[in-house]
Amino acid sequence: MELELTDEQQQVVASVRRFVREEIAPLEADLDPDASELAPEDHERLVGMARSMGLYGLDIPEEFGGPGVDLVTRTLISIEMAQHRAGLYAPCYGVFGGAGLAQLYEANEDQKERYLYPMLRGEKRGCFALTEPSGGSDPARAIRTTAVKDGDGWVLNGEKTFISGADRADFAITFARTDPEKGRNGITCFIVDTDMPGFRVRRIVHTLRSSHYATELEFDGLRIPSANVLGEVNRGFAIANDRLSRNRIPYAAGCIGVAIRAQEMAIEYVKHRETFGDVLATRQAIQWMIVDNEIDIRTSRWLTLDAAARAERGESFRTEAAMAKLVASEAGGRVVDRVMQIHGGYGMTKDLPLERWFREMRIRRVGEGPSEVQRLIMARDLIGGSFH
Amino acid sequence: MKILVCLKQVPHKDARLEASGGWIDEGGIKFEINQYDTYALEEALRIKDAGEAEVVVATIGPDRTSQALRTALGMGADRAIQIWDDSLSGADSLTIAKLLAAAAKDESFDLVLMGLMSDDANNSLTGPMLAELLGLPHTTGAMKIELSDGKAQVERELEGGSLQVVDLPLPCLITVQTGLNEVRYASLKGIMQAKKKPLDKKGISDLGLDAAAVASKVTVDKLYVPTKGEGAEILEGSAGEVAQQLVGKIKELGLL
Repeated sequence: MELELTDEQQQVVASVRRFVREEIAPLEADLDPDASELAPEDHERLVGMARSMGLYGLDIPEEFGGPGVDLVTRTLISIEMAQHRAGLYAPCYGVFGGAGLAQLYEANEDQKERYLYPMLRGEKRGCFALTEPSGGSDPARAIRTTAVKDGDGWVLNGEKTFISGADRADFAITFARTDPEKGRNGITCFIVDTDMPGFRVRRIVHTLRSSHYATELEFDGLRIPSANVLGEVNRGFAIANDRLSRNRIPYAAGCIGVAIRAQEMAIEYVKHRETFGDVLATRQAIQWMIVDNEIDIRTSRWLTLDAAARAERGESFRTEAAMAKLVASEAGGRVVDRVMQIHGGYGMTKDLPLERWFREMRIRRVGEGPSEVQRLIMARDLIGGSFH
Repeated sequence: MKILVCLKQVPHKDARLEASGGWIDEGGIKFEINQYDTYALEEALRIKDAGEAEVVVATIGPDRTSQALRTALGMGADRAIQIWDDSLSGADSLTIAKLLAAAAKDESFDLVLMGLMSDDANNSLTGPMLAELLGLPHTTGAMKIELSDGKAQVERELEGGSLQVVDLPLPCLITVQTGLNEVRYASLKGIMQAKKKPLDKKGISDLGLDAAAVASKVTVDKLYVPTKGEGAEILEGSAGEVAQQLVGKIKELGLL
C-alpha cells in the first residue's frame, strides 16, 4: 500500500503552497476581511500566473483543454488552495479558473456551443438549481417544480431556494418533475436562460457567509424549448446525484485546508504567547488541543485522499466520499473552534481569519448534504437495500 | 550556451532543528533548495528562455537531494548530476568545490552560477574555490547579470547599499544574491516531464578522484545553541532605578 505522495505530487503541492503564501496572502492582507474577490488587475495577473503554471481550469476535462490532473493530485491541490482567509468558499479567489458546471460536459453539441464553451471562455455564468423549500437532501421526493409538455416545449412552474449565484447567472441548470408518478425516474434536467420570461430571482437569502448569499427562485409559466433539455427526459436524477457524490471530495478538501492553516497559526501562537510567566505551549490544556487538531486533520486527510483514489481508479466511492465529507466538515469545525479558543480575544476579531472560517465552516456540516444524510448514504451502502 | 547551476539542498526554513554532534539531526525534517541557489537557477532559466542554452544542475548530497534536482528539472533545467559517497558526510567547502570541479571540467560550461552562500552553513566559500579550481574568473553577490559579446556585466551589492559594476569574460563563475530576479513557479507540464530528464548519479571514483584526494581538511567539533543569558546581567527595579544602575555600570566600566 503506497501512502507516500509521488515526486510530482510533492512538487505540485509545494508550488501551490508557495503560490498561496506568496501571491494570495499578501493581497488578502489589504482586502476587506469579508471580501471574496480580488481587484480586477490582481485577478488578471494571477490568472496569467496560474495559466503559466499549467494549472488553469483544473476541473475542465483534458479533452476540453483542462490540464488533466488526476483526482488525488486535484484533491491535494484543493487542500492547498483553501489555506487562506477566503479559502473555504473562494479558494485562491478563483484565479485557477472555475470548474463551471460539470453537467454540461454531458450536453449535446448544440448545448455545448450555447452554454459549455461560453462558460469555459468566461463569457457565461451558470448556477445549479436543485434544492427546493420542501428539502434538498432527498431530491427525488422534494422536487415539486413541474415541467409540463406543451407543443415543442415545456412549461415550468415552481420555486427553488438556497441557489448560489442565480442573480448573476446567465443560465440555471434546473431540475423539475416531468412525471409525478415515477419518483426519481420522473425528474428532468433543463438549462433555463435567466432572461426567459417567467424566471425570477425572488429574493436574496443572507447566510453565515458575509459577502456571498443564496437566492430564492421562482418559475412562473416559464416556457422552455425541448432543445434545452439536458440529457434525457425523466433521467435528470442521475445527473443531480452524480454531481452530489463527486462534489463531496473537494468540499472535504476545502475544510482540511482551512484546518491545516488554522493549526499552523495555533502552533506559531502558542510558542510565543505568554500567560502567567510562561508560553502557552507549556500548558497541557493547550497541548491537548493541538494534538486533537492534528488527529482531526490527519483523519480527514486520509479519508478524503482514499475517496479520491477510489474515484480515480473508477471504483465505487459513494461511502468513502460521504465519510470524507462528514468527517472533514465536522473536524474542520472543531479545529477552527479550538484555534479560536487558543487565540482568546484575538480569535474573535476580524484581524484574524478565524471568525470568518468559524462562520463559514458551520455551513459545511449542512451544505452538499448534511452530516445526517451522509450517514444515511453510508448506512444504505453498509446494510444494503433501501429502508426508511 | 551551456550553463552549470550548482545547488545545495538545505533544511526547510520551517524545520525544527536539533543539534547532533557537529551537525543537526537530519531525521524526519524536510529539505528544500537553498534560497540563494533558486535565484541562480532562475537566472540560468531566463538566459535559456531568451536564447539557446542548456542548463545543467549539480548537487552533492545523499539520495534525498534528488528531490531538489527533480524540482530544478521541473522548473526547466535540462539535466542533473548528483554526486555522493557516504564518506562525504560533513565534507568541507574545498572538498565540495573539488567534486564540482571534477564534474564540470570536461563539460566546458560557458557560465557557472550558484548562490552567494548556503542558508545552513553560511560559508560563502564554494563558489570562489570552484572558480579557482576551474581556472575561471569569478565574482560574487550579483544583483544583475547581463551577457553580451562573450562577456558578462555584473552588478554586485556592496555594504551600505552601493553597487559595483564588473565585467568578466566568459567562461566565468558568478555567485548571486537573493532578489536578483523573481523565481518562477514550476509548471505542471514541467513537473510531469522532469522524471524523463536525465539525472546522473556519480560516486567519487566516477569523477576520476580517490577518497584521499577529496578528504576534508576542516572538521566541525561542535554545533550548539549558546545558552541564553550567559554573561548578561539583568537589572531589576523601576525604570528610574534601572536607569540609575545602568549609568553606574557604564561609568564603572569606563565606557563614558
